[in-house]
Amino acid sequence: MAQPLDLVVVTAGLGQPSSTRLLADRLAAATARHAPAEVRTVELRGLATAVAHHLLTGFPGAELRDALDAVAGADALIVVTPVFSGSYSGLFKSFFDVLEPGALTGTPVLLAATGGTARHSLVLEHALRPLFAYLRALTAPTAVYAATEDWGTGAAAGTEALAERVERAGRELAGLAEAVRGRTRAVTGQAYPVRAADGQGGPGAPGGVPDAGPVDGLVPFEEQLAALRA
Amino acid sequence: MSTVQFGIFTVGDVTTDPTTGRAPTEHERVKAMVTIARKAEEVGLDVFATGEHHNPPFVPSSPTTLLGYVAARTERLLLSTSTTLITTNDPVKIAEDFAMLQHLADGRVDLMLGRGNTGPVYPWFGKDIRQGIPLAVENYALLHRLWREESVDWAGRFRTPLQGFTATPRPLDGAPPFVWHGSIRSPEIAEQAAYYGDGFFANNIFWPRDHFVRLIRLYRDRYAHYGHGDPEQAVVGLGGQVFMRRNSQDAVREFRPYFDNAPVYGHGPSLEEFTEQTPLTVGSPQEVIEKTLTFRESFGDYQRQLFLMDHAGLPLKTVLEQLDLLGEEVVPVLRREFAAGRPAHVPDGPVHGASLRTGARAAATAG
Repeated sequence: MAQPLDLVVVTAGLGQPSSTRLLADRLAAATARHAPAEVRTVELRGLATAVAHHLLTGFPGAELRDALDAVAGADALIVVTPVFSGSYSGLFKSFFDVLEPGALTGTPVLLAATGGTARHSLVLEHALRPLFAYLRALTAPTAVYAATEDWGTGAAAGTEALAERVERAGRELAGLAEAVRGRTRAVTGQAYPVRAADGQGGPGAPGGVPDAGPVDGLVPFEEQLAALRA
Repeated sequence: MSTVQFGIFTVGDVTTDPTTGRAPTEHERVKAMVTIARKAEEVGLDVFATGEHHNPPFVPSSPTTLLGYVAARTERLLLSTSTTLITTNDPVKIAEDFAMLQHLADGRVDLMLGRGNTGPVYPWFGKDIRQGIPLAVENYALLHRLWREESVDWAGRFRTPLQGFTATPRPLDGAPPFVWHGSIRSPEIAEQAAYYGDGFFANNIFWPRDHFVRLIRLYRDRYAHYGHGDPEQAVVGLGGQVFMRRNSQDAVREFRPYFDNAPVYGHGPSLEEFTEQTPLTVGSPQEVIEKTLTFRESFGDYQRQLFLMDHAGLPLKTVLEQLDLLGEEVVPVLRREFAAGRPAHVPDGPVHGASLRTGARAAATAG
């Protein structure tokens, strides 16, 4: 039996209860139906002040750091934002702004958004997908948009209902995550080397400090010098 | 000189006092830096270090000019920097300026190298910020040779080649100034310091402890890896930031407006949150002592402790009062406490003469 996927869900909904959170939960459940997963949900609402502080001071408080580490170490990510003024919310963007560069390289990501009407659904393609392309994440082909009316209607002619889109997106993310994990294991004989080896510790962290952070990927000094002479 | 060197480092910012709305002129600020340095010696501190900046609201663009003047007005104070920009300064000029200063100050000179955190400084000096680490690596490799080899042939990526170049004056007594490498976040710099057997200064005043525990452990392990000694013999410096009054509540009340409006972290976390997460201590001298003593528990026995005392618009009079408290009530206790139980093989803070040995050792390793 394979290790369950480490699936992290980032939701930027502000209401309580939140339809953004509701969509996030459904996407996580759909993913877990197609691959065993341990799900952790990060509610950005509770981190809003910490994110603002990080923008000002350059370092994360303990709770935010824990969330950022979870996102950076995830096998797969589900990200869900409400649509504000025609795009992702500022809080959603700010959270990914304070993530360490390279943290999402190669990470499978399922994109999703909620809004009042379906007229904003292309925000997924015009705002979220370019953002995660910049972050070098692997975005699942299906991104899910839920307008208010989607929560109370079935499929219109020639389209899928929300539940079917959610199921397909979850299946794609699960497949992507398992494929990435399988491929990296086949290439290197160990799991998950695609991303920074969080938790393994660098030469400066012999005790295996959780999230060895900045000491990962250290280039020995001779190599730094040699690179300049090349 | 004691086992641990205590001192102050200044950013040299011209900041409006939020309680009066008044900012010092550049002239007042420059003169205040000299007054503060002299006061540091008067109250028994060991080190004064100045930043280097090339944009307002900062005044110290020419550190060796400032330190040369301070050298003439002091007797035993060690003069240092925090930091000297190894990226955008010509390493030849650094070699010359600091060797000159070293002679004038009879050896009371070391320096801390850093990359700088102001983006436009790179293009202003004809450099590319994306080359920050390679610049630091190559420029220091040249600086290191200029102080140790009479005649240098050099070709690199970032400056014009040298053939048969001799940097003058030669370092005092043939012993180059001790070098610290300062970093907030880059393991590459800790690695560089370890490679040469130089000091590593972790400017820990804005970031949480855990981050620096990892960075300093990396430096110590790599220092040993390169054959300079045991990990606990590596030369570590740390920052600190304090505001004191005899009564803790008075300190908090007086410092809060400066904290809330401070250029770096103002309008962000509360003073209480920042105090909990970083070395900042606002309170009584006893609280400062207690907090500073925890640094040794976190990072091991170390060699230099610098405090940031004069930023965020604090008036000169207040800063001088702070230095009185630091010199009279805090540092004597810290000296005693840090000396107790310090293993014999842990080196003292670096001074001229002692760096003869360090220099020879690093040169042998760097080959």
